[in-house]
Parts: sequence; C-alpha cells; structure tokens
Amino acid sequence: MTTLALAAFAFLFTVSIYLAVLSGRRLRPEDFLDAGDGLPAWALMFAGAGVLIGGLGLQDHLLLTAMYGLQYSHVALGLALSALCGSMAHKRLWIAARAMRTSSPIEIVSAYYDSVTIRIALIAVALIFALPFAGHMLALAGDLVAMATDGAIGHGQAVFTLALSLFLVSALGGWRGAVLVVAAQSFLLLALLLFTPLFMAGADERLAVLASGPSALKGVLGDQIPGVMQYSAGIGKDVAAAGVWTTLTIVAAGGSLIGVVLSPAFGFLTTTTRLRAGLAFQQVWMIAGLTTGALLIASPIIAAEIAAADPSGMAAGAPSVAGLAGRLAGLDSLAALAFLLMLFAAMQIVVVFFVSAAGVMIAGDVVGRYLVPELDGDGRRLAARIALAVLYAAVALVAAYAPLSAAIVGSVALSLSAQLLPAFIGLCWAPWISRQAVVTGLIFGTMLVLFTEPPGLVAFEGLFLDLPWGRWPLTIHSAAWGLTFNVAACLLTALFTRLGPERARREVLHGVFRRVSPATGRASRLRTAKWSLTLIWTFFALGPGAILGNAFFSKPMFTDNEASLGVPSLWVWQIVFWFAGVLLTWWLAYRSRMAVVEEAAIPAIDLAPPHDLLGRRRAPEWLALMIARVSSR
Amino acid sequence: MTQDEDMERVDRHALALTIWLAAGVVASTLYHYGVRAGGWPFIVAAFAVIAAAFAGHVIVNVVFRSEFSVRERALGLVCYAVLLIIFGLATLVSSDFANRAFLPTSAGLVALLAVLVFSMVVKSGVRSSFEAFDIIRSFSAHDAWANGGDRAKGGARE
Repeated sequence: MTTLALAAFAFLFTVSIYLAVLSGRRLRPEDFLDAGDGLPAWALMFAGAGVLIGGLGLQDHLLLTAMYGLQYSHVALGLALSALCGSMAHKRLWIAARAMRTSSPIEIVSAYYDSVTIRIALIAVALIFALPFAGHMLALAGDLVAMATDGAIGHGQAVFTLALSLFLVSALGGWRGAVLVVAAQSFLLLALLLFTPLFMAGADERLAVLASGPSALKGVLGDQIPGVMQYSAGIGKDVAAAGVWTTLTIVAAGGSLIGVVLSPAFGFLTTTTRLRAGLAFQQVWMIAGLTTGALLIASPIIAAEIAAADPSGMAAGAPSVAGLAGRLAGLDSLAALAFLLMLFAAMQIVVVFFVSAAGVMIAGDVVGRYLVPELDGDGRRLAARIALAVLYAAVALVAAYAPLSAAIVGSVALSLSAQLLPAFIGLCWAPWISRQAVVTGLIFGTMLVLFTEPPGLVAFEGLFLDLPWGRWPLTIHSAAWGLTFNVAACLLTALFTRLGPERARREVLHGVFRRVSPATGRASRLRTAKWSLTLIWTFFALGPGAILGNAFFSKPMFTDNEASLGVPSLWVWQIVFWFAGVLLTWWLAYRSRMAVVEEAAIPAIDLAPPHDLLGRRRAPEWLALMIARVSSR
Repeated sequence: MTQDEDMERVDRHALALTIWLAAGVVASTLYHYGVRAGGWPFIVAAFAVIAAAFAGHVIVNVVFRSEFSVRERALGLVCYAVLLIIFGLATLVSSDFANRAFLPTSAGLVALLAVLVFSMVVKSGVRSSFEAFDIIRSFSAHDAWANGGDRAKGGARE
C-alpha cells in the first residue's frame, strides 16, 4: 500500500505540474496575476464545485456525519443556498469587474464603498482562508499521507513536501495554472465521490446505512433533527440533548457556506473567467445539482461505512477514516487508494486555490497598486511569486508546527466571510447601503462571530474571565449570530446615511447594471416572488420547517398508518428539498436571468480614489506614511 | 497562431486530461477489483467508464470545434496496443486470469474498438472512415505526388 500510495500521490503531483507548466509557459508576464481575465468556463464550473466541497471540509464532513448521522449531513443542503447566493452576487460582480477594469473583488468592493477599512477587512478574510484555513487542510493532508504510507513519511515531511509541490504549481502556472489544476482535481473529486458509495454497494454484501441505519454516536439521534433549537449554553459549557444540530444550527451552518462563495478568492475566480454561459451552469447544475446531491446521498453511505469499520473510534467519540481505508484495502488496494485520493484532492484544492488567490491578489492590490506601482509585467510576476513563496512557507509552518491553532483560527473563516453579505448586497442590488452601514455591520458581525467561536472564547477566557456561554450558544451557529447583528446594525445605520453625498458615486455602478442588464417588466413583477420563494425554501429545507422532515414520510399526517420506506424520513425530506432547491436555483439563474450575462457592451467607469497629477493612483495616507517611516530609516 | 487560439488549445487539452484522469482512476480500480474478486460486472463497468471518457473527449472536440490531435491518436493507439499485449501475455501466463477475465476483457476491448469505429462513422461517414485506413491508396497517392514532383523537377531542368 505504501509504494502504491506514494506512486499515486506522485502521479497526481506530476499531472498538476504538467498542467501548470503547460499553461504558465504560454502566459504573458502581465497575465500571470489574473489569467488575462480569460479562464475557460469549464474551469469555473468544476473548480467552483470542488472549492465548495473542499471549503465544507470533506473529511470533517464525513466524520461528523458518522458521529451525528442525518442531522449533520443536512448541512450539505446549504450548498444549494450558496448557489442561490452566487446567482445573486456573481453576475453583477463580473459586470462591475469589467466596468471598473479590474479583476480583484477586494479592489471592486473597496473602491465602490471608497473605504480602506473594507479593503483591509477583505484582505484579512483572504488571508484567513489562505493561512489558518488552508493550513488546517494541509495538516490534514499531511496526516493522510502519513497514514497511507504507514508512517514511512512523517507528518512534517509530508506537509513540507506538499507545500513545496503546490508552490511549484502556483509559481509556474500563475493564477491560470492554479485554477486549471483545481478544476482537474475537482472533477476527480466529484467522480470519486460518486464512485466510492457505488463501489461499496457493489462490492459489499449490504451497505451499513441500509442494514443498520445512519450512523451516530451513543445518545445522538442519527435519523432525526433534535429540535428547532435547544436552550444550551453552547459547546464546551453544556451538552445538547440528542445532538447539537438543531434546525437553527443547520440553517446557520448551511448559511455559513455562503462564506466560501463570498470570499475574495471565489469572487476572483468568477471575475477572471471568460463568462457568458458558464456562471448559470455552475450555480444550477454543478453546485445546487451535482455537488449538493452527491454530498446528500453519498455522505451518509460513506459515513456509515466509516462508523462500521471503526467501532472503537465510535465508542470513544472520535472515529477515523483509517478504519474504512483499511477495510477497503482488504477488498482492493486500488479502491482504498481511490478513497484516499478523494479526501486528498479535497484538501489540496483548498490549499492551492486559497493560497494562490491570496498571493496574486496581494501582489496586484497591495504591491502593484500602492507599494511599487511602476512595476511592469515581469516585476508583477516576480512580486506574485515572492508573495506565493511567503504564503506557502507560512502555511507549511502553521500546518507542521501549529495544526491545532490552525484548526481553531481557521474555524472562523466561513463565518467571517459570510459577514460580507451586506457589502455584496449593497454592491449588487442596494445603492442605499452606505459605507458606514457596511463597516458598522462588519464590526458587530465580526465581534459576534469571534465571541461565539473558539478563537475569541479561548483568548478572552485566558486573558480575563470565564464567559457564561460556549461555542454556538442556544445551538445557533456563529455565522447566524454574526449575521443577525450585522444586518440589524447595517440597516439601522443605512437608515440615517442612505442619502449621504457618496450615494451618487455608488449610483454610477448601479447605472451600469441597469444599462447592461435592464430589468424587464416581467422581472420587476416577479421580484417579490424571487425573495419570498427563496425564504420559503430556506425555511423548509434548512430552517425550522425542516423539523417536519423527521417523520413526514414515515408517519404521514391524517392517518395512523406508518409508511415503510426503507430509509429514514429525514433523508427523503433532504432529497425532496434538494430537487426543489435545484428548481429554484434554475428559475432564478436562468429564467430570471440573475446568472446569465447579456451580450452587451459594458461601459468603463472609475470609482477608484483620485489619481495624482502624474496619473498614478494615490496610496492611502496611512500606507504612504508607513512606507515613508520604513524607507527613511 | 494567436495568443487566444493557443490558450484555447491549452484549455481543450486540459479539459481532455481532466476527463481521462478521473476516468483512469475509476476504470483501473474497477478492473483491478473485477479481475481479483468482483467478476465480469466490474470488468465491463471499467470498459464502460473508458467508453464514457472517450465520448466525453468527443464532446470536448465538438465544443472546441477541434479534432483528435496526432499525438492523442498516437497515444491512444499505443495504450490500446499495450493493453492488448498485456492482456495476451496475462492470458498465456495465468490460467486463473484467463478463466476469470478473458471473456469480459476481450469483449471490452472489442467494444472499445466498436465505439471508435462508430464515432468515426458518425463524424465522417462510412467512406471517409474507410479511407482513413486505406493504406494502399494512401501510398499510391504519395507515390503519385512524389513522381509528379520528380517530373516537375526534371522538366524544370530540361
């Protein structure tokens, strides 16, 4: 198995390097950072799906499903919600990018609001994804390699080798090469995610999920949601009865997946794509359709096999994928390898994607725009490679020496990124949302996220005093705590600042939206239907209405008889609302044209801060002062 | 060739590679398990995956308005030939393999050939597909071209 595993990992690395070199050597130096805004649509489709699965954390998702059963795997329906969010935001983000002649979402959003604070917040989110979040995934990948090679390659060796190989991919191929590699591995990931349960069904006599139902820890409801909410002080302070995944936790955890879609890296993927037809296909068929469906159906099957293969781990409350890998190796060594490759690809995708995006965006937005604006194409490429080298070195160090810290800090990435929702709604749809409103909301949202997740709790309790609540109090996920206060603060502030002098600037971009993508009379009439149907779907698919799924199909209403489906009612409920979610996303993306980019010329606008007399962009005062202090020594 | 056309060629190649990468992993796993313990359904499924990947490659060609490149054809032929040789050797050397896998594997190899011929017929018609393999005519045409060229050279000398 060791030799075979090493050969497989080396093969995957060779294919990745080949793709990166193939793409990179044809790139002009000035296209290294943004692929010349010419990424193919198929790469967007596959890479988007793969990044969402990776962002969800496939291995963690399978293990949590093994521990909590269907009540946790329900969270995967949140991918359909993120597809809806993508439909809402990405078309207009792409138009804004073309109008403002830039590809960076950091530049677009901060120039639109004319706010350095928002720019810093976006860079911080990009770095959280690139360092602790990617570091956590790299640490898991190192563990996986160590396990697959029976310890022949240690955790640290694996981490540094992987970081070096992935750095080569990013540095040789640039943004284009990195995305092609992510797309290729995403397709492999999707294929193996579908293949693994099918193989188990064919090779095993009977699937564990059908023989004994969805797996769960002792005392946890494996086939039901344990209530709408529970009056629990939170994880670490209190134990929620029958499981922590209540409907409010599910809707908030599912909702936090919009953090992946709203992250600067994902936005950068969209804005650098040659987009006309690919966006709607990605949102509807790849994310809401294939990815969500594959996870909803495959996860409980694979998770039950994980639980069946590792009874001692389940008894201890910490199952591992090693048991299933060993059992598959008993059946067929290549099958075990395919299972490990699936997990490995999901981790690699996250590392390559988020680190590459952060590296090229920092090189473009910070170095190229403010620090050394006179850089030519070769200089920018060199700056990007240096930024990538620094980021990969940092990720490797974090993954090798502080994996626990990476896991703790990385756990807030999705929730913090989800706090950008009001900023994107303002950019795409609501010019009355002002800079002050977004910044106020961000401050409240960030505070709430930090104080309902381990980083804030651990730091505060370590420095000051014990708090009466733990992680996710009232079984409400940190993303929902943050978004509730964020949106409330944003709306309140917008009430008083919506007519401020900056509104005229913001209206310039919305004028472009109206010109490029005019709302037809039919679309205006359906506006209420769009929002209300989305809310109704969210309420029943993920929110409190999902509690009906516990017995809706097994104990039908208006009759005393019980239906025998062979699978839990909740699983059927999930699949029914998955279909409904695909239909809704299709209606919004295609029929309402929210994700279909019209063939219209996009006028150029300039919302960036004013230029100096020589036509160069002026650096923010604080940045200019900082550089002056450093350079004058 | 412009930069855009060059990039489009890279995109097409990367997409084809993406399809074959995933199909290769899945098909080899299915075939390996089929030969060892799973039996003919897994072997047939492995060949079905390869056929599906081939169909995917054809669709990629249609979308990108291109054809199989010379290198792709050569690689495909070499892979097929290597598979045939390994299959023949394994059948001769291992009676166990011959008992378990001869029929489904040979059926799969023939089916792959049939898929290839079918795709050629659908794309180019029967006559053109046949002409692609008509080596005698090809040599004749080459000789005629070469002789014509010599005559032209001679004429010029005269």
